[in-house]
Amino acid sequence: MTGPRQKRDLREPTVFELSVPGRRGWRLPELDVDEVDPARAFGEENLRSEPAGLPALSEPEVARHFARLAELNYHIERSVYPLGSCTMKYNPKVNEDVARLAGFTRLHPETDAASSQGALSLMYNLSRHLCEISGMDAVSLEPPAGASGELTGMLIARAHHRERGEDRHKVIVPDSAHGTNPASLTLAGFTPVELKSGPDGRVDVDALRKAVGEDTAGVMITNPNTLGVFESRIGDVIDIVHGVGGLVYLDGANLNASLGIVRPGDVGFDMMHFNLHKTFSAPHGGGGPGAGPVGVKSFLKEYLPRPLPARDERRSRGVEYYMDHEGERSIGKVHSWYGNFLVMVKAYAYILALGPEGLRRVAENAVLNANYLQEKLKDVYELPYDGRCQHEFVLSASRQKAGGVKALDVAKRLLDLGLHAPTVYFPLIVKEALMVEPTETESRRSLDGFVEAMRRIAREAEEDPEKVTRAPVATPVGRLDEVRAARELDVVWEGD
Amino acid sequence: MPYIPNTDNDREQMLREIGAESLDDLFADVPAEFRLDRPLDIPGPLSEQELTRHMAKLASMNTTPERVLSFLGGGVYDMHVPSLVSHVTGMPQFYTAYTPYQAEASQGTLQAIYEFQTLIARLTGMDVANASLYDGATAMAEAALLAVGAKRTRKVAVAETVSPAFRSVLRTYVGSLGVEVAELPRDGGATDPGRLADAADGAAAVIVQHPNFFGSLEPMREIRAEASKAGSLLIAVVDPLSLAVLAPPGEYGADVAVGEGQTLGAPMGFGGPLLGFVATGREHLRRLPGRVVGATEDHEGRRGYVMTLQTREQHIRRARATSNICTNQALVALGATVYLSLLGDEGLKGLALRVASTARYAAQVLARVDGVSLRFERPFFREFVVELPFDAHRAKADLAEAGIWPGVSCGCYYEGLENCLLVSVSENHDRHDVDTLASGVEAIVAQGRDT
Repeated sequence: MTGPRQKRDLREPTVFELSVPGRRGWRLPELDVDEVDPARAFGEENLRSEPAGLPALSEPEVARHFARLAELNYHIERSVYPLGSCTMKYNPKVNEDVARLAGFTRLHPETDAASSQGALSLMYNLSRHLCEISGMDAVSLEPPAGASGELTGMLIARAHHRERGEDRHKVIVPDSAHGTNPASLTLAGFTPVELKSGPDGRVDVDALRKAVGEDTAGVMITNPNTLGVFESRIGDVIDIVHGVGGLVYLDGANLNASLGIVRPGDVGFDMMHFNLHKTFSAPHGGGGPGAGPVGVKSFLKEYLPRPLPARDERRSRGVEYYMDHEGERSIGKVHSWYGNFLVMVKAYAYILALGPEGLRRVAENAVLNANYLQEKLKDVYELPYDGRCQHEFVLSASRQKAGGVKALDVAKRLLDLGLHAPTVYFPLIVKEALMVEPTETESRRSLDGFVEAMRRIAREAEEDPEKVTRAPVATPVGRLDEVRAARELDVVWEGD
Repeated sequence: MPYIPNTDNDREQMLREIGAESLDDLFADVPAEFRLDRPLDIPGPLSEQELTRHMAKLASMNTTPERVLSFLGGGVYDMHVPSLVSHVTGMPQFYTAYTPYQAEASQGTLQAIYEFQTLIARLTGMDVANASLYDGATAMAEAALLAVGAKRTRKVAVAETVSPAFRSVLRTYVGSLGVEVAELPRDGGATDPGRLADAADGAAAVIVQHPNFFGSLEPMREIRAEASKAGSLLIAVVDPLSLAVLAPPGEYGADVAVGEGQTLGAPMGFGGPLLGFVATGREHLRRLPGRVVGATEDHEGRRGYVMTLQTREQHIRRARATSNICTNQALVALGATVYLSLLGDEGLKGLALRVASTARYAAQVLARVDGVSLRFERPFFREFVVELPFDAHRAKADLAEAGIWPGVSCGCYYEGLENCLLVSVSENHDRHDVDTLASGVEAIVAQGRDT
């Protein structure tokens, strides 16, 4: 995408503009039964009155269109993708291959247990491995994304309190939390209570003590938190919440830093979600599909979505692995079937490829790489919360802003230099935030390349700020007018 | 460690540069009492060879339509996935990219989503569509929340003929918000419009699937009129393949169209990842859940795409967002975009008619089997319900021995339909497959009569 210096119009027409009546991209098998007469089969009033207006293209034209679109994308195989909280690690190829085995892709979810032992054993063992990795007692693989896992967790909290006859409607979230946390707990019928972070960026334990009460249903904590620091007083945090009868939920987005080092279940968390597309290397797909399994301690197991993959070594049902549908106290289903199975296949393959030693090395190197970057950048960008970080850290462009260069400008200039930007303006508690997460799959060489680019931009911000504020100039399009997009709302092609 | 570049030597050098004694130093904030003092008890590490062997073994322990004659459906279907679809979704430029937060470096993903939104809007006959949701069930639940927000009443009415799994997810989503879920009674294989207005009284939305779980067409125009009398929005749950032939929701006046798009180029995958979509009228655009991509321009007037209306979303609006959705199913939506681009109007219509024709032939030959009948007298699209003279579970077990999976047992989901099978036909079936099914059914029915 950051191609030749000279500007060329890289715009690819929409697929609708490329359409030529009469072109076809597919041949159907010969029909060997009588063709239905739609009017007689469905009734005249049930028929579509005119064609939908789908494009007409041959296969090479479609292939070329999407190959050209592909050229306009940045991706993990180009270079570092340091989006904080997103854990953009390399996606091993073998995982893609095994997830395309016909025994997985062409498996219908209504297939009986005897005919799906491979899939069921994979799901059962993945859930056991996630339990071991997290210190939780039971896992549901059903939530199809992290936010869905959060909703599941909050519905479990609700069911738990309701069953005890307690009306608890408040859930506490630190002001550094992901936006999905307050959105998910609201969807579960709770009211969020925002907790201001302490001066060190961690949960303010005294403030928490004051905030909790008998109406506290629980607290949602991200650990390491979104500033990239471990909640060193997490034991106190959990005791305080448990002390008033609340539950403690872990937003597991940052689990990459903890693999084999510390298990949330041992720390005292009651439940959590995993992001298989972050920690366990399933690709992000340009925004999904992900997978957000939920793990709980045994006292909450009954509330998990059903069915749960289960094992019976004695095969009393005639099979070793099966789906256990029992569970009248379950919160219900959050997905049509069992969740994003093919994503689970990739995560399972990843865990087996790494093993216990490998997973620990993932965490160590993720944390080492982040500390290395932090060390090399903290003299040119402000580091609001100093000290060792975990898998990510947050810089601020506030020093540059004084000279007219904002965090967004730094991000856009990185695109010019052929790299992806960090997460910007998050967490909300840091002004001009640049949240950097390199992951363990970056080499020292690529880290040094990122450092060099970031230092160069800091220099440009002083010497030639316009170079930064005008960025990007080397991308297929320049900075896009988001205000216009929201005002004019051109969300479907109407040009034909 | 093939996936981790740093060697021990790199690590030591890097530790020195950051002034740390050891790796342990980096974890000093983790209280010692919580540190794991043993290796994780999980298997591995496996080499790529060992891993592929293990995975191939697991895959071979699953039975797929490659090895049996399957008529399983009920929401997920064994449709052909054109080669180009998986080649495009297998490009690292697409599958290894993140959500397109940096628009200028993500124009490929953004334009593909814009095209997806357009394709879905056109197929459903609605003004606008979102960038996709997890699956049809969550799309339906989110649409119900949209209606509750628009109408400000805490009730929705859902037809009994809507997929049981979809209704189950709906209850999970709206239950904790104090939204009542009323069921619209059916008359045989379809919703009874005459009893709709009463059951839907005061409901923000009437939710009907068309074709419904039984494969039957619903009287959508009458339902629309009755829903209006009740003051409710109409949410139509549709099968995108059917829309090549059947009137789209926009033509019968639905307010929101949702559905499952798995058949548009995604494999069954044991039920996931799937592809939910939501389309609606411009008046509800600002209530749409999830991502929406819009076109705009850069300072030089070049067209480009961005995620728009982000002020509805959780990362801006937090607790007041229209939904908690962050991730959607971008890669599956990309696959659907490739799929629909290949097929076009003509291809999709040809495919729909092929499936409908084979399904009709299947219904005819099965109904000719002595003791077997069609359960409902309604027009159907790709699947239909047959009634056997005995329990469908038993029939399934008997037929499985002959390598035939005749369909989904309706008795798992509906009382009184214990002897019924939902038979689904795809374009992978031909006359011979259907004849094999019919003679298989004939044989077990005859056997059942003898015993």
